[in-house]
Amino acid sequence: MLLSRGNSQSAKSMTKESHIQLQNVNKGYQEGEKFRSVLDDLEFSVNEGEMIVLLGRSGSGKSTMLNLISGIDSPDSGEIKIVGTDLAKLNEKERTLFRRKNIGFVFQSFNLITTLTAFENVLLPLKLKNAKGNDDLKKAQYFLDEVGLGDRGDSYPDRLSGGEQQRVAIARALAHEPMLILADEPTGNLDYETGKKILDILNELVQKNQRTIILATHDRDICSIADRVVQLQGGKLHDVTNEMMEA
Amino acid sequence: MRSQYSNLLWLSSFRFLLKHPWHFGLSILGIALGVAVVISIDLSNSSAEKAFELSTEAVTGKATHQIRGVAGDLGEKVYRKLRIKAKIRKSAPVIEGYAKVQKANRTFQILGVDPIAETPFRDFSSQQAGINLSDFISGENTGLISQPVAEELNIDSGDTLSISVGGRDFEMRIIGLIEVDDERSRQALESLILADINTAQRLFGMAGKLTRIDLILPEDSESVINNIKVILPDGAAVVRSESRTETVAQMTRAFKFNLQALSMLALLVGMFLIYNTMTFSVVQRRPLIGRLRALGVSRNEILSTILKEALLIGSIGTIIGIIAGIFLAQILVKLVTQSINDLYFVLSVQELTVDAMSILKAIVLGIGATMVAALWPAREASQAEVSTVLKRSSNESKISKRIRPLAIIGVLLGIGGVGILQIPGGDIGAGYGALLFMIIGFSLTVPLLIVGMTIILKPVFGAIGGLIGKMAVRGIVTELSRTSVAIAALVVAVAATVGVGVMVDSFRTTVVSWLESQLQADVYVQPPSSVSRNADAELDPGLIKLLVQTEGVAYSGTVRSVDVRTNNGNDNLVAIDQGESAQITYQLKDSSDDFWQRYKNEPILMVSEVYAYRNNVQLGDTLFIETDLGRSPFVIKAINFDYASDIGTITMSRNLYDQFFEDEAISGLALYAKEGVEVEALVHELREKASGNQEVFIRSNRGLREASIEIFDRTFTVTVVLRMLAILVAFMGVLSALMALQLERSRELAVLRANGMTPGQLWNYVTTQTGVMGIMAGILSVPLGILMAYILVYVINLRSFGWTLQFLITPSVLFQAIGLAVFAALLAGIYPSKKMAEANPADALRNE
Repeated sequence: MLLSRGNSQSAKSMTKESHIQLQNVNKGYQEGEKFRSVLDDLEFSVNEGEMIVLLGRSGSGKSTMLNLISGIDSPDSGEIKIVGTDLAKLNEKERTLFRRKNIGFVFQSFNLITTLTAFENVLLPLKLKNAKGNDDLKKAQYFLDEVGLGDRGDSYPDRLSGGEQQRVAIARALAHEPMLILADEPTGNLDYETGKKILDILNELVQKNQRTIILATHDRDICSIADRVVQLQGGKLHDVTNEMMEA
Repeated sequence: MRSQYSNLLWLSSFRFLLKHPWHFGLSILGIALGVAVVISIDLSNSSAEKAFELSTEAVTGKATHQIRGVAGDLGEKVYRKLRIKAKIRKSAPVIEGYAKVQKANRTFQILGVDPIAETPFRDFSSQQAGINLSDFISGENTGLISQPVAEELNIDSGDTLSISVGGRDFEMRIIGLIEVDDERSRQALESLILADINTAQRLFGMAGKLTRIDLILPEDSESVINNIKVILPDGAAVVRSESRTETVAQMTRAFKFNLQALSMLALLVGMFLIYNTMTFSVVQRRPLIGRLRALGVSRNEILSTILKEALLIGSIGTIIGIIAGIFLAQILVKLVTQSINDLYFVLSVQELTVDAMSILKAIVLGIGATMVAALWPAREASQAEVSTVLKRSSNESKISKRIRPLAIIGVLLGIGGVGILQIPGGDIGAGYGALLFMIIGFSLTVPLLIVGMTIILKPVFGAIGGLIGKMAVRGIVTELSRTSVAIAALVVAVAATVGVGVMVDSFRTTVVSWLESQLQADVYVQPPSSVSRNADAELDPGLIKLLVQTEGVAYSGTVRSVDVRTNNGNDNLVAIDQGESAQITYQLKDSSDDFWQRYKNEPILMVSEVYAYRNNVQLGDTLFIETDLGRSPFVIKAINFDYASDIGTITMSRNLYDQFFEDEAISGLALYAKEGVEVEALVHELREKASGNQEVFIRSNRGLREASIEIFDRTFTVTVVLRMLAILVAFMGVLSALMALQLERSRELAVLRANGMTPGQLWNYVTTQTGVMGIMAGILSVPLGILMAYILVYVINLRSFGWTLQFLITPSVLFQAIGLAVFAALLAGIYPSKKMAEANPADALRNE
C-alpha cells in the first residue's frame, strides 16, 4: 500500500489529467572532465492539491528537481509541464514571469530579503505579481497573521528567530496565491520542536488554501503529512510505501 | 502608506545602501571629487575665455577691420591719409598696451583713443559718452576708469594713479569715471584704462605711432579695402577684427585641452571607483539577488534596480561635486590665469563665471560616468544564473576561469591602443583615446598578474608571518572577484600619478638642461614685461649705454622681440646680436651646414621646433614676413630647441633685422663679465648704476635660471594640483574598496576569532592582507605609470606642442607610488581590523 493522506496514486499512473508532469527529464553537470548525471530520464506527475514529500539524501538531486519545476533551471532534455505549460520551451524571462505568478518558495535557509521588514517580505511577491488596490496590503497582513506574526510586521529578518523567519517565508510563499508551493528542506535549519510547528503551519495553510506542494527533505518523519511520498535515488524517482517506510 | 510600498525592490536596494554608509558615502565622495575637478577646470577655462572675450569686445568695439603695421606699430600719418585721401570716415586710431597699476597690483590694458573718432566704435570712449575733451587732451597723463574699478581702488575723479609701463613709472590723473549699467560692461571694463592717444604714445614711447586703426567697413568691402591698400606703407595690412581672437583661441587650445584631459583623468579614476563600488556592492548582494530572482524578479528588474542605485549615487555625487567644483574653481581660475599670463597674453580674470553649459556638462559627465561604470556590474548581477548565484564560491570559480580570457582581452585592447597611435595624422584626442585603451587593457590583466604575484609573495610572507602571513596572501586569490577590482582601481589611480609625475619631471629636466646652454652670458638685463615668457617691453637706450660701459663688462649681446605677421599668421620674431656665443647658446635640432656662417648677412633664419611643428614647416621652406620693406621672403635654415614658448619663435640675426625693420629698440641685454670679475659683484654694481633710471631686472645667470624655473614650475602648478586631486580620488577609492572588503568579511573573521585567533593576530592578518594588496598595486602601477608617462611625453606633448623632451624616470616618483599604495592600503585595514578585534565574535557569527 502506498503511503497516503487522501487519494493515492502511483508516480507514473497520472499521465492524462496531471497538474504537474515531468517526462523523460535529464539533467547533469560538467565537473571538470567528467559529466555527472543528476536526473536520469525522470518521470513524475502530481495532481492538483496534492502534497508530495520528496525524499532523498544530500546531493541526490532534490534541489535540482525543484529548480527545474520552478523554472529556475532548465533541463538538458525532457518536458516539464505545469498546467499544460512546458517550462522547457520557455525562455529565461518567460520562466521568471511564470515563477513569479505560479510558484511559492520556502527555502531551508529562509532566504528572506534582509533589507525588507517581515511585512514587506510577504508583500513583495504580491507587488511583483502587480496586485492592485489595497488588497495586497490586506493579504500580506492576513498571511502574516496566519503564521502568528501579525505583530512583528515591522521587524527586519535579523531581529527574528530562525522559526519566525521561516514562518515569514511560509507567509511569503502563500501570499500571492501560487498554484504550487516548493519547499526545500524547510525544517533543515530548525530544531525539532520548531520544525514540527513550522510543518504544522505549512500543512494547515496549504490545505486551507488548497495549494499543491512538493516538499523536499531527507527527514522521513515528515512523510506522515504527505499524500504521497517519492524518493529520488540514482537520478530516478521511486514511490515509497508505508511498508517501505516501516522497514 | 501605499506609496511607501509601491516599489519594494527599490526600497530594498536603498536600504542596502543605507546599511553600508561607509561604502555609500565613499562612492559618492569619489564621484563628487571627479566631477569637482572636471567642472573646476571647465569653469576656470571658460571664465578665462569669457574675460578675454569681454575685454576684446570692449577694445574692438564695433570695428569690422583693422589696419595693422609691421612689428606691432603703424605710422600716425597713415591715419591722416586714410581720412583725407581715402575718405574713410568710420576709422579710429588706437594704441594698446599694458600697465601695472600699483594700487591694484595687477596689469591693466591701456586703450589710447581719439574720442572724436570713437563714436561709431566704442560707446564708453566716445565724446558722446561725456568725456571732457579739454581735460582728456590736456597734455598731461590723463585717463578714465570704470566706476566699479574706482570703487575697488578707492579713488575718485581727479585723483592720481601710479602706473608702471615696462619698468617706467608714471602718474596718471583720473579725469572721469565710466559709468557701467550692466554686469557685462562691468566685467569688460574691469581691467581697462582709457587714455588719450597722446598720453598712450608717451606711456609706450610710441611718438608718431599707432598700434592699429579700427575700421567699420560695409559687408561687401573688397573695393574699399583695395582703395585703402593703396595708401598703406609696405608691410601694413587690413585684417578682420576677429582674426586676433582666433589667433588667441588657437594659442591656448592645446593648453586648455590638456587641462581638460588631465581633469578627465580624475574623473576616470572616479569611474574606476564607481565600478569598484558597484561591483563590490553586487558581489556582496549575490545571495540577495539570488533570492529575488527565485521569487520571480526578472533580469531587467535587477538591472534597472542596480542602475537606479548608480543613478542615485551619481546624482548625489554630481550635486556635491558641482558645489565643491565651484569652490575649487575659485582657486584654479587664479592658477589658470597665471599660467595664461606667463605663457600667452595678459589676462585679468577677476571673478568666476559659472555658466549653465559647464554645469550641464558636469551633470552629464558625472551621472553618465557613474552609469557607464555601473553598467557592467549591473549586467553581471542580472545575468547570473539563479541556481548558482546563491553561492559565492561559484562566482570565485567563475572569475578564476575568466582571468586568462580577461588578460587576453586586455592585451588585445593594449594592442588596439598602440594601433590608434599608429594612425597617421592622429590628434591629441586620439592620443588620449589610446591611453584609455591601454589603461583599461592593463586593468584587465591585473587578476592574472595578482595570481602570478601571489605565487612569489606567499612563501615570502609565509616566512615572515607564518601561517597568518600565508593565509593573508592566499585570501587575496580566494576572493579574487573582489580583490582584483580593488587592486585594479588602485593601480590605475597610482599609475596616473606616476604618469603625470614622470611627465612633469621629464619636462623640468629638459628645460633645466636647455636653460643651462641657453644662458651663456653672466648677467641679463630685461625690463618687466606683461607676459613672463615674452620680452615685449623695451630697454631705455641711455640705460643700455650706461650698463654696457660699466667697468667689468667685457662685451654684450642684445635681443629684440616683436610680433610680426607672416604667411602663417601672427608670430613672435626674435632678433639676436650675440656674437660668437650664439652658436653655443642655440641648440639646433636640424640645420644646414653653414648656417652660423651665413645667418648674419643672408635672408635666412631659424625657427623653434614648436614653430615648425605648429605651422608644419621644415628646413628649406620659405617664410614670408611683413617687414618695413614689404612682404619679404626668408629661408628656414635651422630648427632650434626652445622650451620658452609653446607658440613658437622665429629667430634672425639683428643685422638682418635692421635691414628689414625700422626699429632700433632692444628688449633684452646679455652682458659678459671680464675674466676675474665676480658676477654677483658686477650685478650689484650694475643695479646701482641703473637705479633712478628705467626699472629693469638685472639678474645673474643663476638668478635668471632660477627665475625661469620658477615660472616653469608656476605654469605646472595647475597640473600638480590636478595630480594631487587624482591622488586624493585614488586614495578615497582604495580606502573605500579595501575597507568595505574587510568589513564585509566580518563573519569569516569572527570564525577565525572563534577558533582562537587573538585580536592582535587578527589585526596582523587584516593589515598584512591589505598591505600585500597595496604592495601588489604599487608594483603594478609602476609599469602602467611609465607607459602613461611615455604616451604623455612622446604622444600627447608632441601632438599638443611639438616639443622634444628627454624621458626621465626619477626613482623618487616610483617609490612615492608604491609608498602611496601601501599607505592607503594599510590605512584602509586599520578600521576594520580594530572593529573586528574589538567585536564580540558571537555577534558576527549570528545568522542574518
